[in-house]
Amino acid sequence: MPSEGARILVIDDEKQIRRMLKVALEGNGYDVAEAATGHDGLNQAAIFHPDLIVLDLGLPDMDGIEVIKRLREWTGTPVIILSVREHEDDKVDALDAGADDYVTKPFSMGELLARLRAALRHVAKTDDEPVLTFGELTIDLARRNVILRGEEIKLTPTEYEILKYLALQAGRVITHRQLLHAIWGPNYQEQTHYLRIYIGQLRHKIETDPSQPTYIITEPGVGYRLVIRD
Amino acid sequence: MKTITDKASEQNGNMQRGFFLSRVPLGHYVWALFAVIIVTIIGKILTPFFNLTNLALLYLLPVLISAVRWGRGSSFFAAFLGVLAFDFLFVPPVFSLTVNDARDFFVFAVYLVVALVTGTMATKLRDELEKAKQREKRTLALYALSQQIAAETDLRQILKTIVKTVSETINGQVSILVPDLDNGVLHEAASYPPQNTLPDDKEQAVAHWVLEHGQSAGKGTEILREASELIFPVKAEDKTLAVLAIKLNTGEQAASLEQRRLIEAFTNLAAVAIIRVKLAEEAEQVKWLAESEKLHRALLNSISHDLRTPLASITGAATSLLTEGNVYTQGAKEVFLHTIKEEAQRMNRYIANLLDMVRLESGILKPKTEWCDIQDIIGVVLRATKEILQGRLIRVNIPSDLPLVKADFTLIEQVIINLLENGVKYSPSDSEISISARYHDKTLLVIVADPGSAIPKMEQERVFDKFYRLHATKHISGTGLGLSICKGIIEAHGGSIWVDSSPEYGNRFIFSLPVSEQPPDSQADTKEGEGNAV
Repeated sequence: MPSEGARILVIDDEKQIRRMLKVALEGNGYDVAEAATGHDGLNQAAIFHPDLIVLDLGLPDMDGIEVIKRLREWTGTPVIILSVREHEDDKVDALDAGADDYVTKPFSMGELLARLRAALRHVAKTDDEPVLTFGELTIDLARRNVILRGEEIKLTPTEYEILKYLALQAGRVITHRQLLHAIWGPNYQEQTHYLRIYIGQLRHKIETDPSQPTYIITEPGVGYRLVIRD
Repeated sequence: MKTITDKASEQNGNMQRGFFLSRVPLGHYVWALFAVIIVTIIGKILTPFFNLTNLALLYLLPVLISAVRWGRGSSFFAAFLGVLAFDFLFVPPVFSLTVNDARDFFVFAVYLVVALVTGTMATKLRDELEKAKQREKRTLALYALSQQIAAETDLRQILKTIVKTVSETINGQVSILVPDLDNGVLHEAASYPPQNTLPDDKEQAVAHWVLEHGQSAGKGTEILREASELIFPVKAEDKTLAVLAIKLNTGEQAASLEQRRLIEAFTNLAAVAIIRVKLAEEAEQVKWLAESEKLHRALLNSISHDLRTPLASITGAATSLLTEGNVYTQGAKEVFLHTIKEEAQRMNRYIANLLDMVRLESGILKPKTEWCDIQDIIGVVLRATKEILQGRLIRVNIPSDLPLVKADFTLIEQVIINLLENGVKYSPSDSEISISARYHDKTLLVIVADPGSAIPKMEQERVFDKFYRLHATKHISGTGLGLSICKGIIEAHGGSIWVDSSPEYGNRFIFSLPVSEQPPDSQADTKEGEGNAV
């Protein structure tokens, strides 16, 4: 179910993309405003009060990352990045600068809509949900236990913390840096091999086939995402 | 005056010989004396048979012998001694230096002139011979050097050999300076004996003057003679390619004409060698250009064909959908829509490959290595290729105890995707494809196997070439880029990729990645149950 009437601001310099997004998003019940430049986008963000912003990183007048930084000075409105594959690093920088998620161009509309829903849901979500459920996986935050298909599984403290962190932001991509910072602290932000090892262990415990994970998926070069099943 | 000449002949060693051989040992004069004595004895014996004038001729013999054997000094000595002995022992009155007949003075004068002229000429002849010998020696040195550098193709090595030979032949500090192609600043290409100090501004200035004017300058020349070095141009035709700077070990002394001629001969040799190496480099460049032109042509062909084909499908499907009226059934419309989607995705993959190839080709694509779990990469690949695989059976066999490997996650992902796509494309649609990984001897091997028809041995290496398509499968659409990109990426990681084919099992594409190190301690907490204990 799309959030009825949610307001979305699309900032992209390509007229074709804006037109297509406007038609598709309005068709899905969203209220859409458009901006072609970074400056116009920042103005619109203040006037239109969007619930969510779709931002293209390659803008003619200013760096997309700069737009995010300026937005984050005064608003926590979720931002979804549109980027081409060639700018992997920019994508990570944008996420670390405060963007909530990204979609790589060319993208399927289904994918973009799923990201929009996840980001909007996250804003609406209240913090006091003690039990999180993802298909056959249940995490009871109050009891600190994890149940898979009715059976409790044993996790190490680090594995549990990782799973909990991903689950609390389910559906959103978490960058390596964010995850390392959250679990190990600011001095471990470059130690990606910790993540490779612990995510590997975690998958062996919760996934049916660790080679084809269905809960924790890897976003190449960016980070991890715990999948929401709609 | 004399001492300076002495010093010069001493310093220049065998290169130069002073005309007045003051350094000649006393022995030479003793020998001259001895020769005169012998001739005197013979003269005494022959006195009854010859007249006086004839006997005087005998005294030319020791002069000639001295001139040829011991040089001009001793020949003059022999001449005067001869006059004295003749006068004293033969010319009446005997045993007296007085001369009765005035005509005898005429004999003395003629004798002396003949003796001195003969002595001088004989000495000259002797010096010429010496010089010829020296020349031969130098020619041999030049020849030996040219032989040494003829086979060498490394310019640096050639220059090293040249400065070493010049330094040893003329006894001095020798360096060769080559102008930078971009800004023309001279820098030292070789020097012997090796020196650490850079040329100072003054030396640089002289060297630049030489480079510009193509004439030698510095110490002992007409130009900039106050410099401490002597600098020669290394010229080929009108162009000065480099300069040769020489500081003689003899300190104050300037180089002799002979030395300078020799050095010029060496610089000519150096010029020939430099030109030869440059021509070889240019030939290499031309070859490279031809190859890159071939590549560009293939690239253009590929772009025009492989981009237009999906575009044609997309345009056809979209225009059909836009047709007025209800011509098409709902089912047909669905087909058009799927065509548009699939062809657009194909174009996207093609563009990605094309970009990767151009990046590899231009050296921009550098692996950003991080610790990777190969199982994780394969998981991402299977997710990304779900649509292309269209329900094909993929068997994955990855041991759980594989080590992490330092690699670029997205690039290795790209490699496996390309291999998997190939496997799907070139094998029967109901057959199984397998992906497996192994760790052996510090190497991680990843194998993508398909049961398609085996690649002929002849073509097994060529399939990794850019735009190469197998003859047997040319009818299947493809760009010939995928495998060449795989090869480029794997080699950039220090690994290798090959194919093992057989009619029994089809094709096994295998790539290896070196596992040279292990990640630092990962603070493993393997104690379970604490994290989720109440």
